[in-house]
Amino acid sequence: MAATATQRLSGHDVIAARYHDVDPVYAETRDLRLLGFVFFLLSDCILFSSFIFAYVYLRISAPAWPPFLNGHQLPWFDTSFAAMNSIVLFGSGVTMHFALENWKHLNKAKFNAWLVATIVLGIGFLLGQAHEYSVVGISWTGTTMGASFFTLTGMHGFHVFVGVLYLTILGLQANRGTYTDSKYFGLTAGTLYWHFVDVIWVFLFFLFYIW
Amino acid sequence: MSDVVIERGIAFLGAILVGITAIVQLKNDWAARGLDAGVTKVLLGLMALGCVIALLAAVNVLGVRT
Repeated sequence: MAATATQRLSGHDVIAARYHDVDPVYAETRDLRLLGFVFFLLSDCILFSSFIFAYVYLRISAPAWPPFLNGHQLPWFDTSFAAMNSIVLFGSGVTMHFALENWKHLNKAKFNAWLVATIVLGIGFLLGQAHEYSVVGISWTGTTMGASFFTLTGMHGFHVFVGVLYLTILGLQANRGTYTDSKYFGLTAGTLYWHFVDVIWVFLFFLFYIW
Repeated sequence: MSDVVIERGIAFLGAILVGITAIVQLKNDWAARGLDAGVTKVLLGLMALGCVIALLAAVNVLGVRT
């Protein structure tokens, strides 16, 4: 057990040493780019927060939920399918984390395998959302429930779609030698973006399918 | 077996698998330092929370509609 802990710590140290063993200009720009990317994620967070607060306000001020349309109460969203689809997306977060860890540990073959798994799971989630849209039984127009649902999940789905493209490009770049064992900021940013997209879904899943 | 049972079964097993993996990764990365490591830890923690929510939804504790 102690030996394993030592190996793990030394592994962190080895990666950290390699990570910092770059020219000073690159190290400085990497830190600035990382800060800029985190600000980008925060701005995206504000975008989603605005729509989420609008949805919460509309929901708590509605006389009944789900709202009525033409005298009939709208159906609840399908929690069981959404739970399964959520796990597909959360699973892709774990596979992306494994991909980056394997890059850090210089295992390119495993990096590629985990990255492909992430992309496949991301596409799977999008197909699940497309299925959800086809059977959900409400439309964008007519009710605040439908407008909120399609706006928020659509915006999130667009982020997942962009993420799938982003990860595909990162994979191509990685295999063309754009990134090295000490210069791989693009992969770090891609992983952060994908985790962010996962976490946004945690909130949307809770708001639309659990609450 | 109905679609709902299959979906909930997949969600249940997947939530356990993904949730435990996320927590183990969080534990492994706990010693890592830096802004990217900090953000990753927060996001992994929230993802593990998402797995707990999905797990509770799969066993009908959360998201029960009357």
